[in-house]
Amino acid sequence: MELDCRGMRCPIPIIKLAQSLKTTSDVRLLSDDPATFPDLTAWARMTGNTFTQINNETFDVIRSD
Amino acid sequence: MGSVTRFQTEAPLHPAAAEFLGDAFARGWADPSKIHQESRKVALLLNEAKEVYCQHLGIRHEQINFLGEPSLGFHLGISGLITSNSALYHSAVDRSEVFAVASGIRSEVLPVDITGQYLVPTGTHNDLITYQSINGETGIPGTVPLSFAGKVFIEASPLISLPQKWSSALWDARSWNGPDGLGILAIADKGWVNPLPHNDSRVTPGSFSTPLVIAGAIALENFVREFNEHESKIRALNSKIRNFLITQIGDVDIAGDLETALPHLLSFSLLYVDAQLLIDELDKSGYAVDSGSACNAMNMQPSHVLAAMGLLTHGNVRMTLRADHTELEVDKFLSVLKDLITKIRR
Repeated sequence: MELDCRGMRCPIPIIKLAQSLKTTSDVRLLSDDPATFPDLTAWARMTGNTFTQINNETFDVIRSD
Repeated sequence: MGSVTRFQTEAPLHPAAAEFLGDAFARGWADPSKIHQESRKVALLLNEAKEVYCQHLGIRHEQINFLGEPSLGFHLGISGLITSNSALYHSAVDRSEVFAVASGIRSEVLPVDITGQYLVPTGTHNDLITYQSINGETGIPGTVPLSFAGKVFIEASPLISLPQKWSSALWDARSWNGPDGLGILAIADKGWVNPLPHNDSRVTPGSFSTPLVIAGAIALENFVREFNEHESKIRALNSKIRNFLITQIGDVDIAGDLETALPHLLSFSLLYVDAQLLIDELDKSGYAVDSGSACNAMNMQPSHVLAAMGLLTHGNVRMTLRADHTELEVDKFLSVLKDLITKIRR
């Protein structure tokens, strides 16, 4: 699924991402918040989930099961 | 308004220095370089103060320079050692002042790992590397660039001894609850050239206030003594907070390890927590803390220190622990923190 968080500031994109991952195992996150990339990196390390950065505003996130 | 427990970086001037400052302003007005009775008294006080700085900072009389503007020391200490064929290597967790100086010269940012350490490049004897003896946000000591071939600029702290090899070092008196507007720049490298346009040989053209220098020395003596006396208590408080965060709150990213970090600073980030909201709620409950999260910054950028270390930048709380904080205060704070986080995460 696609989750459009553009225009939202931290920590909302990460909160919405975590909520989405409760019902789906992969999410394309769109976010233009400068904290998203460093926070996704830390979040992935803390939770064991993984992500790939597609471009400046697009991140493909996969839940670890 | 109820009482406030402060865990912020900035603290009031040390009471011993504050007590002396009024007196120092009354006595320290004369020019210490002139030959009058009043001038001689001031010269004597200034000399005693210099002695204190030399002893506590591990520097020599002829190396010491006082600055009325501490931040200027980054330019003086770094640019004064850079020539046209030098490169500057600096850490990704250095202060923004270092980034500002670096932007004007050939430079390379050294990435850091999650413990805040960089890989020391080899460099040439013309090059300069920066070494931060303690990171002001996390309390983590920087990498000592022992194997670096060139010069070393240090953003120094009175709590960490200078390494054997250094070229210039800068202290901000606020780091020991000294007065605002006082920097100490020590220059050991004989090749240092003043990057400022001056018409005489002085490093700083008398930009400092003598009473502040004296008050800063008093604050320094007291700060170091009190830190040494209370270090184990402060370490125990820090350890208590870390344990509580991990066992009672969870989903927390704590910067550094207490084994290596200085115990009076603590930075942690809480997953799924809006720092602005948390700081406001803590404030309403009578607790003042700092934050490195973007929503709390003037420029809305997350802390470059947290981002460079790969630590969570949202939900960040920074605490400064002091000798006068009690275990009871910390316990009450933790209980309030836990309730607020539960509420915010719900």
